[in-house]
Amino acid sequence: MSLAEKLVLRRQRHLKWPALDRLETILMVMCGIALFGFSTSVAFDILTRTIGHPWLWLQEVTSAFFIYGIFTGAAVATRRNDHLYLTAVAEAMHGRSRLAVEVMVRVVTLSVALCLIYFGYINFLRGFSSFRMPSMTPIASLYVAIPISGALIALFTIEQLVNGCKNGFEHAEEPDAESMLKPLDLPAPQERQS
Amino acid sequence: MSAPLILLLMTFLFLFFGYMGVPVAFSLLAGVIVGTMFTDVSLAAIVQKMFDGMDSEALLAIPFFLLVGELMSSANVVVRVANLSMALVGHIRGGLSQVVTVFSMFFSEMSGSTTADVAVISRALSGPMKREGYNPPFIAAIIAAASTIAALVPPSITAVVYGAVGNVSIAGLFMAGIVPGLMIGFGLMIYCYFFGPAGLRRPRAPLRTVAMAAKDASLPLMIPIILLGGILTGWFTPTEAGVVAAIWIIAVIIPALNRKHLAMLPYDFCIAGLIFSLPLITIGAANAFGWMLAYLRGAIVIAGWITSIAGNDPHLIMLLLVLLFTIIGDFIEPVPTIIIFMPLVMALTQAGDINSVHMGVVLIATLAFGLITPPYGLVLLMASKFVGVRFSQALRAALPIYAVFLATIIFTIYFPSVVLWLPKQVIPESVGCFKSPSGAGYICPK
Repeated sequence: MSLAEKLVLRRQRHLKWPALDRLETILMVMCGIALFGFSTSVAFDILTRTIGHPWLWLQEVTSAFFIYGIFTGAAVATRRNDHLYLTAVAEAMHGRSRLAVEVMVRVVTLSVALCLIYFGYINFLRGFSSFRMPSMTPIASLYVAIPISGALIALFTIEQLVNGCKNGFEHAEEPDAESMLKPLDLPAPQERQS
Repeated sequence: MSAPLILLLMTFLFLFFGYMGVPVAFSLLAGVIVGTMFTDVSLAAIVQKMFDGMDSEALLAIPFFLLVGELMSSANVVVRVANLSMALVGHIRGGLSQVVTVFSMFFSEMSGSTTADVAVISRALSGPMKREGYNPPFIAAIIAAASTIAALVPPSITAVVYGAVGNVSIAGLFMAGIVPGLMIGFGLMIYCYFFGPAGLRRPRAPLRTVAMAAKDASLPLMIPIILLGGILTGWFTPTEAGVVAAIWIIAVIIPALNRKHLAMLPYDFCIAGLIFSLPLITIGAANAFGWMLAYLRGAIVIAGWITSIAGNDPHLIMLLLVLLFTIIGDFIEPVPTIIIFMPLVMALTQAGDINSVHMGVVLIATLAFGLITPPYGLVLLMASKFVGVRFSQALRAALPIYAVFLATIIFTIYFPSVVLWLPKQVIPESVGCFKSPSGAGYICPK
């Protein structure tokens, strides 16, 4: 299996449009690039400070990768259902009650996503009057991540809502094949302790 | 609508949506958005507060600690640490349950994440424990309890968040967390020895075997040394120490111990890049919620209730906060709890003249306890899922273990001199000490 294929989650396929798999791959790769980017910029920051020639703009690069990483991750996690949850009461439900709760969950998520798009866009416009030091780049360059992330969250929520209403939210899932850690090889015990 | 009613509405909506299955970040935001509509605050300001909550340099440490944990587990290197734990304590009564605790004490010092800990330990040790006849609910309970150590000992992500949000020394919290972390670890070992299943008897590993296992695990065990050593000597901030630890794994550990895994590094980065965004988006949303709580003077009202009962008695204030955080921690995760209630904690720290590092460690220990209590003990929930038992069964098995946590929390409240001894020795400034004008030593607040 190629890296791109491995990056697309195989769970809950009945809630997904295959056409968006490529977008999921791209966003996952962007998460990796963001993490690699700010790891590298922090490493260079340490290095340049240690040799006495600090590059001040590295901190701007770091925070840009950091913020983009968070909003990209938040968007793709919506498609993968990887967010942090308090609990999933709906999973214990069946039939109409399950449908009602699942739809409500998506409607709430969609409403929040729409707020992120609209009010994030307002913040983006306001961000042209504040600047990041020392490069004097408008802070709007960071704020733009909010409406984009909101739009992606909205897209993935609509995808789940449409497919869930069409195919049903309940579906038998195969167990996660994520465990790469082997169980321990233990030395043979001698007897049960008293 | 009055401020208390708005706060109640926000809290109700957050919990209702959260328990229905809306992601924590979105349920927090949904509560705040609805609450804001009844105030003169603009929603654009709320989105701004969410952004501000994430845009903190101290929080940059979180992705690196998560990356270290992800790389260590996906490269299968932690098995060497588990083997060392086996060689050290596998022969003691309790067998594998002792191994679980010691392994968690080692791994916690590499990952800093309770959820990473519970996933790794469950995958590595739950199978062998089942095969040796341990009761599955007990397996889930002991793995969950041991995993909470990661919330206390360095490089605890909970401590990073607490330090970043409360403007408390992160290095000081790391140091102060060691004593309660070890108390929980040794407390669990004592519990397993006297009250846990006896397990199967193994011969004591010969010194040569222990030495071999230690040699095998020496490269991974350098990570806590890099993290702590770098921070304590003042060479690195916690963020930089995390980067250096990640470089150590990529440049030294994986090439030396699992060279084939190098090809998997891009995949690891993508997964870790996703994982780090999850707590951080939640932190942003919780920051907006916490800001509204402060704006509506909720923190002042609750602080007023607590001081009306406790006066300025620091122990009573901490006990009441522990009670409050135990209740809150039963419903909400530690990270949003810290951010939402930080204004309250700061007000009470001031009212009781409590050392902020001491207060931090007490609350982090309480929130660690909340990870294994019902109805939302995240770590116990995860452990029961990995082990394959019902949550209620795991909960019953975990009930006696609560004694270890309660004893640790009470000890931490009443013996600040013991808890703060280590940070006072290593980084005195972190606990409010300042250099003596004579130049010899430090003067520390009582």
